[in-house]
This record gives sequence, C-alpha cells and structure tokens, in this order.
Amino acid sequence: MIHMQGITKIYEDNGALALDNISVDIEAGEFVFIVGASGSGKSTFIRLLFREVLPTDGTLIVNGVDVPGLKKNEVPAFRRTLGVIFQDYRLLPDKTVYENVAFAMQVIEAPRRLIQRSVNNVLDVVGLQEKYKAFPSQLSGGEQQRVAIARAIVNRPSLVIADEPTGNLDPETSWDIMDIFHRINSSGTTIVMATHDKHIVDTMRRRVIAIEDGKIVRDEARGVYGYEV
Amino acid sequence: MKFSTFEYFFQEVALSLRRKNLMSIASIGTVAVSLFVLGVFLILVLNFNRLAGTLESQVQISVYFKDDATAAKEREAAALIRDMQGIDSVHFVSREEAMNRLKERLGDQKYLLESLDNENPLPDSLEVVVKRPDMVETAAKAISKIEVVEEAKYGQDVIEHLFDITRLVRIFGLVLMILLAGATIFIIANTIRLTVFARRKEIAIMKYVGATDWFIRWPFILEGMVLGFIGGILAAVALRSFYAAMAAKIYGTLTFFPLMPQYPFMNYVAIAIILSGMAIGTLGSAISLKRFLQV
Ligand SMILES: Nc1ncnc2c1ncn2[C@@H]1O[C@H](COP(=O)(O)OP(=O)(O)OP(=O)(O)O)[C@@H](O)[C@H]1O
Ligand SMILES: [Mg+2]
Repeated sequence: MIHMQGITKIYEDNGALALDNISVDIEAGEFVFIVGASGSGKSTFIRLLFREVLPTDGTLIVNGVDVPGLKKNEVPAFRRTLGVIFQDYRLLPDKTVYENVAFAMQVIEAPRRLIQRSVNNVLDVVGLQEKYKAFPSQLSGGEQQRVAIARAIVNRPSLVIADEPTGNLDPETSWDIMDIFHRINSSGTTIVMATHDKHIVDTMRRRVIAIEDGKIVRDEARGVYGYEV
Repeated sequence: MKFSTFEYFFQEVALSLRRKNLMSIASIGTVAVSLFVLGVFLILVLNFNRLAGTLESQVQISVYFKDDATAAKEREAAALIRDMQGIDSVHFVSREEAMNRLKERLGDQKYLLESLDNENPLPDSLEVVVKRPDMVETAAKAISKIEVVEEAKYGQDVIEHLFDITRLVRIFGLVLMILLAGATIFIIANTIRLTVFARRKEIAIMKYVGATDWFIRWPFILEGMVLGFIGGILAAVALRSFYAAMAAKIYGTLTFFPLMPQYPFMNYVAIAIILSGMAIGTLGSAISLKRFLQV
C-alpha cells in the first residue's frame, strides 16, 4: 500500500530537515500509528502521502502510484483514492453536515443519486444521520470530526490518513472517533494516523512507527507509545 | 460536463455575488462605465468611417472647359476621358444647365445673379466619376492636360481632412479603450481575488478530495464572465439611449451627416460591447487565478 525508500524532506524556505532518509513499508489493511515528539516530522510524513509536499529525495509509492513522479494533472485522480483528516476538522461553516459530506462527491462530479445514497450511508457509519441538517457551529468537536471522517470516507478510499484527529478532543470523545476508525479499518481500509495520544496507542496495540528528529527510531507490530507524556 | 456540475457552478457564482454584493456592484459599475465609453468611441469611429466612405464614394472630378472650346472639341475630350483607365462615367453639363443649378442652389438669393445682366459666366463642364477613390488624383492630372480643359477639380483636401480626423479619433479611442480595458481587468481581477480569498478553505478541501484544477477554476472564471456580462448589458442599454439622443441632435442640425441608422447598427454595437465585457471579465479572473490560486 505504501512504500517509502530513502525519503528525505528538507523544507526549502527555512532549510529544516523534517525527514531524514526514511524507509518503511505499510501493507494494505494495516492500522498504523505515527508517534513522536512535536517537530519530529509526523505531519511531514502525512503530507508526503497525499502529495501536499514533495520529498527532496527518495522513492514513494502509494497505492501503486509513484507519488513524486505524478504530473500536475494526475494529482486529482490520485487523491480520490485517499481520505484525509485533520486535527482542526476543516469543515465549511456555511454548509450543513449533509452538504459538507456531499461536497466531496460533487467536486469529483459523482452522479447525484449516488451522492445521496453514499452520504446517507456514511452519516450512518459515523452516527450523525439525525444531525444532517445542522451547521458545523451547532456541533460539538467530536461531532465535527465525525463529519470530517464521513467526508474523508464517502468516496470509498483505500487509504485513510489522519493527522492528530483526536488532538482537540477530550478522551471520551476521542474513543468515539477511534471506534469509527476501528470499524473503517475492519472493513479493509488502511489507516495511517499521526498522534500524540499515549492512551489510545497503548490501548489499541496496533503497529507503531516512532519518529525522532526525522528518523524512524522504532517500528513495532503491536507497539505502545513508549514515551512519558 | 454534467448538468449537475453546471448547476453547482452557477450556485457558487450566485452565492459569491450575493456574499460581497457591494464589491460586485462596484465592479459591475466600473465595467459598465468603461464599456460605455468604449462604445461611444466605437460609435464615433464607425460613423466617421462611414462619413468618409460616403464622401469618398461621391468623389467626382469637375472638368471645366475653356471659354473658346468648341462643341466638337468638347465632345472629343469627353470621349477621350471616357476611354481613360478607371473612369466610371462622364456626364456633360452645359453652361445653361450649370446656371439653372446655381439658381436653384441660391434659392431666395437668386437676385445676386441680376447684376450679371443675363450673361452666363459659367463654362461648359463634365462630371467625371472614377471607379476608385485612389484613382482620382491621377485621373484629374491626366484630364487637365487635355488642351480644351481649363481646370479639373476634385474635393480631395476635404476628404483627407476627414480622414485625418477619423484617424485621430481612432487612435485616441484605441488608447483610451486600452487604458479602460486595463483598468476594468484590474478591478475584476481584484474582485475575483477577494472571492479566492473568501473561498480558500473550500479550495483546500476541494484539492484534498481530488477536484481537478479546472473544476476549481470554473466558478471563478464564470464569476468574472458574469460580472462582465451584466456590465456589458448595462452599457449596451445606456449606449442605445445615447445614440438615439445623438441621432436626434444630428438630424436636427447637420442634416447631411450620413449617420448609421439605429437598426441594426446598435444591435451589433450591443453584441460587441457585451462580448467585450465577457472577454474582459474572463481575462480579469484568469489573471487573478494565475496569481492567487495555486492549484
Ligand atoms: N511548511 C513548513 N515549512 C518549513 N518548515 C516546516 C514546515 N512544516 C514543518 N516544518 C519543520 O519540519 C519539522 C517537522 O515538522 P512537522 O510538522 O512534520 O512535525 P510534527 O511531528 O508534526 O510536529 P507536531 O507534533 O507539533 O505537529 C519541524 O522542524 C518544522 O519546523
Ligand atoms: Mg504535526
């Protein structure tokens, strides 16, 4: 699913070495936590995966696609195979829950009837079918993040990447979110999630890739967070 | 492109125009004013061209015979001219006919001729029409060399004068049009920049979920086009009234002026203005997108 070989990322504007010669493979269907201290390079790792940034050096294959080698006009098709989730939800404030999710399908010109069916379906998955008319400002943080998840999975991506999706949420709400991720993963979707949440990582016992100063320092199949917080 | 996509684009444009309606009104207003001035110059240039053209096509050479020319010599000369290159027609005007025309033209002031004691000082003449305006000069020169011809006159200087004016209007209009178009494009680009800014979150999300560059761009392009279109319609309506007023004024005073008839002329002007508005709007948003929308 993901093949990284000798990936280095130096941000050109300030010369920061965010990732230093990283090599890693992630198989289809895996659930992977990326952990590490602030500034270690987790977000950079995530951003490389959906081509928000390009690596300075190295090979990166996602879903069989040579990501750095993509031409500009091939990027949209590639991104349609991914779902992306952020810490700050990134919902559109003047669109309802339903419209926020449907938006992801409209902009790739999905047929209208398919949109209706799929949106209702994913709102069901994240447990928000009753609030489909609400605006983001009328929702709690956890509910907003569930909308963002619904939007990320509505186009049935084979890979979902999330950058600290529970970073703004209290522990209980975080578990609701993890429960949804768990269900998505059980249906075969690969999940890569950067996180600071020791409790979640230690409880779920999934694969843990630890990054320190841009290098992978640990990669365990049923790992723990490994740092004191 | 799917119908639902079109629908989506137009919803986005309507929403955007409503959201910053003051800015939208300001840019539509600027477009309308610029296009109106543009239209005025277009109308002026086209009418001057027509006037010059009309006068030009009426170019004829008046050939006056010497007083002692005999009728036979005159006929001979007329035949000679008729055989020259580029001559369309030759019409003989006797001195009696010339006198009658003069009387007619003087009308009330016919008494001026009384001092002539019924003597006719006018010579026999020919009205020679050439096929093409640029042949006038050569023809006139050749004709004046004929022995019995006193003088061959034509209105070249009047026409050249008119051409000078037309050229001036055209150049001045062109410069003004370019300046105005530039200003309008700038205003529209600015309006679209605001839309891009207001929509940056949406744009980011569209990119994450895999919208194509053109899908992202279209609503902005369309917004510029709509601004230009509405501005163009306003300008076209104003121009119509302007032309009607101008026509009324001119027909009242300068009756000889061959003004373009209002229809279908003004329809063409309206179409040209509206299309220009749309082109300017599209260009404005394209420039803005190039600078501010990194897709
Ligand atoms: N857009 C950017 N431009 C320049 N440097 C950047 C940029 N983004 C990150 N960096 C630098 O790259 C390094 C890694 O940053 P990154 O955001 O990947 O860390 P992180 O592990 O996600 O941190 P956090 O846990 O605080 O989110 C840092 O030194 C950071 O300053
Ligand atoms: Mg980060």
